[in-house]
Amino acid sequence: MRYALRKLGLLVLTLWAAVTLNFVIPRLMPGSPADAAIAKLAQNGPVTPSVQAAIEAQLGMPGGSIWDQYVAYLNNVIHLDFGVSYTFFPQQVSELVAGALPWTLIMVGAVTVIAFVLGTLIGIGAAWKRGTWMDSLPTVGGSFLSAFPYFWTALLIVFFLGYVLGWFPTSGAYSATAVPNLSWEFLGDVLYHAALPAATILLTSLGGWILGMRNTMINTLGDDYVTFAEANGLRGRTVAIRYAARNAILPNLTGFGMALGGVVGGSLLVEQVFAYPGVGYLLFNAVTNQDFPLMQALFLMITVSVLLANFLVEILYGVLDPRTRR
Amino acid sequence: MTRTARSGRRLAAIAATVAVLATAACSAPVQNKGDDGASGGATSMLIAADNGSPTFDRNFNPYSSGKRNTTTYMYEPLVIINEMSGEETPWLATGYEQPDARTVVFTIRDGVTWSDGEPLTAEDVKYSFDLVKKHPEMDLKGAWSHLESVEVDGTTVVAHLQTENVPAAKILAQQLIVPEHIWAEVEDPVTWTNEEPVGSGPYTLGEFTPNQYTLKKNPTYWQADKVAVEELVQPAANSELDIVNNGYDWAYAFMSDIEDTWVKADPENNTYWFPAGAPISLIPNMTKAPYDDVDFRKGIALALDKQVIADKAEQGYVDRASQTGLMLPNQEKVLDTSIPNQGYVDQDVDAALASFEKAGYTKKGDKLVDSAGKPLKINITTPNGWSDWLQGVEQVKSQLTAIGIDVTVVQPQPAAYQKELRTGDFDMIMGTVGGSGQPFQDYNGLMGSEFLLPVGKTAAGNFGRFESKQADDLLAQLKVTTDEAEQLELTHQLEQITYEQLPMIALFYGGSWGLFSNKNFTGWPSADDPYASPKTWDSTPLLILTHLEPAQG
Repeated sequence: MRYALRKLGLLVLTLWAAVTLNFVIPRLMPGSPADAAIAKLAQNGPVTPSVQAAIEAQLGMPGGSIWDQYVAYLNNVIHLDFGVSYTFFPQQVSELVAGALPWTLIMVGAVTVIAFVLGTLIGIGAAWKRGTWMDSLPTVGGSFLSAFPYFWTALLIVFFLGYVLGWFPTSGAYSATAVPNLSWEFLGDVLYHAALPAATILLTSLGGWILGMRNTMINTLGDDYVTFAEANGLRGRTVAIRYAARNAILPNLTGFGMALGGVVGGSLLVEQVFAYPGVGYLLFNAVTNQDFPLMQALFLMITVSVLLANFLVEILYGVLDPRTRR
Repeated sequence: MTRTARSGRRLAAIAATVAVLATAACSAPVQNKGDDGASGGATSMLIAADNGSPTFDRNFNPYSSGKRNTTTYMYEPLVIINEMSGEETPWLATGYEQPDARTVVFTIRDGVTWSDGEPLTAEDVKYSFDLVKKHPEMDLKGAWSHLESVEVDGTTVVAHLQTENVPAAKILAQQLIVPEHIWAEVEDPVTWTNEEPVGSGPYTLGEFTPNQYTLKKNPTYWQADKVAVEELVQPAANSELDIVNNGYDWAYAFMSDIEDTWVKADPENNTYWFPAGAPISLIPNMTKAPYDDVDFRKGIALALDKQVIADKAEQGYVDRASQTGLMLPNQEKVLDTSIPNQGYVDQDVDAALASFEKAGYTKKGDKLVDSAGKPLKINITTPNGWSDWLQGVEQVKSQLTAIGIDVTVVQPQPAAYQKELRTGDFDMIMGTVGGSGQPFQDYNGLMGSEFLLPVGKTAAGNFGRFESKQADDLLAQLKVTTDEAEQLELTHQLEQITYEQLPMIALFYGGSWGLFSNKNFTGWPSADDPYASPKTWDSTPLLILTHLEPAQG
């Protein structure tokens, strides 16, 4: 119990630091939101002085001293009120996030879980049958695939499967004319649109899980207690899962916690390539348009969920590995 | 570990595997469904006029900066001005008169109705002006920086100006008009997103989803007989690959290797037109040496081969720009023919070196040095990520290096670039100048003392901080004269000042990237018939939409 409380205290402290950094960092970026909006318009041709004035009036600037802004910001954070987005004026930041989050959670979230489970299982198998083709195939294949950058894989997939073969849609979370509802037809449409981005993330992230699990597992398999268990004539599967894998999974679990927390940040490049309306795309828009309110909300959401996921993993660690509780 | 926990994990693994298989299985039966939106039949048109990022917000408030581009297909101005030539087409007003330099009288067209059946009246016009007075955030055309008051007189609207200000008529004429009977009841028009737009234009909103929306022809439109396209389909995703593969009728996009991409997709029907837009220029900071020296600026202009820069930057799609600041050839009518070579400054290294020498820089070895022997160093600022401009600047750099100048290219993020441009924090900076097709506005924004602010203050125009009494006098005269011959004469003199004093060094014309297909509809603007810019936002698309005809055969 004291272990959990100590971790909780640490969590609160890091949360405060994260919230404060989140306030400071966007303000260190040069240029104002109005500058960003005008620069965007200027790409299509000159912006007249009157348009500049109207845009400045429309977007306004955060008022008051930095300290006042900070207090107001803390107050808003507590009430989950992030104000109006500059980029998508006059939409509420909370609405924008609520609109993007489900897509990311469904697509990136599911794939992260699948990749972790699949990768860990394959890793266990590879380590258990080390030296055979069951080891070399996933190890070599995994390192090969994870060496590709996300967006490169994404571009290849979208070009060949999307445009050349035309098997899959190339953009969006559902068909152009579909209206979101809870029917099987719509669900199928969503899965169909999620297939390519999901496959990209799965392909590029699977290798990491496989290698991580396999390598720790091989170390564990050399330990005395495993040899002892084998010498006692326990079934192979029991030794692999209950003795070796249980201990070997700890580093992978930490990684999983981090990855799960990072899910809400979306997968920026993949969402960009597939024009998937998730958090990653929203974040990209926010950063390129100097959209302080939207950026703050998104960064806050990402930090908080990474912190929470880490906290949960640490608690889980305490359960899995009694040594950490001391 | 307990048994249940272990079997739970195994279950999760099975579930995950099933999910993967299900995803794979689901994709098979719907293979042919595709995502290509409309068929592009004879009455419907697929357009890339608006871009979701990645999806559409439903915002059709014509005075909002975040509106959908096609909002201006539903709300119309009094007069449409083709910014490439300055040509005017009377629209909701049948015309306007300027009885004196402080008054503009618009005659409102009779028989125009809103899409809900109510008549459009002079009262609506007055209301639209008063609305943006009350909410300056919505005054995108800047009407009230010129207006004093607006009144209705029968079927005319009389605008009283703050000062004698003839060019203001063209700014007022572009005001978008909204129906009073709907907007008067809106609580906060600034943040209102106007989801069910009622306008006077040729189209009304059809079906809207975040991934695609349609515009339907307005059957009661006041010139419905000129509108051939029954439906416009606008998908949210229009990547270059989509545009090439999905059979668009009208798209606005810069595309590499146009002949081998867009044209090749349908060689019989696909055409393009990339007319000259505002000149993209190097703006020198004329508050500091040596940029305040006209001989120095001349030296730079003479040192550059602008066609090579244009070809590098825009892949040969646009031409070098005339140093007069005009958009040629479309603005030929107002060009002063006494200016040599239409104002194009050819590269001439010897003349450049002579000009630099007058400015105090001489060649020493292969470097240009000042009287103290210090080599000449220039920073050129261009926004990060605008790859076409960067390509141009890199070419400028190599040409200036060849003549002996040390050039550093600075690339701040776009927002920071914009700030540096406006506050005068640069040596030389890339920027567009002019481009409205209206000489007073364009030259005023380039050289007017109206916008002149000290370095450090945020300016809205005259970013190079150019000061010329002569230019100011000419602008002041141009502002008050209603005599067209005199207007032309004053414009000629302003061209000469721009040509001789170089408040900017014109490099190349920014392009407008119009891609058209003649498969379903013909009558697109072209070099032979430049009646409108190919751009898809603002009011000039109304000219195109009322100009198209069904393709024959």
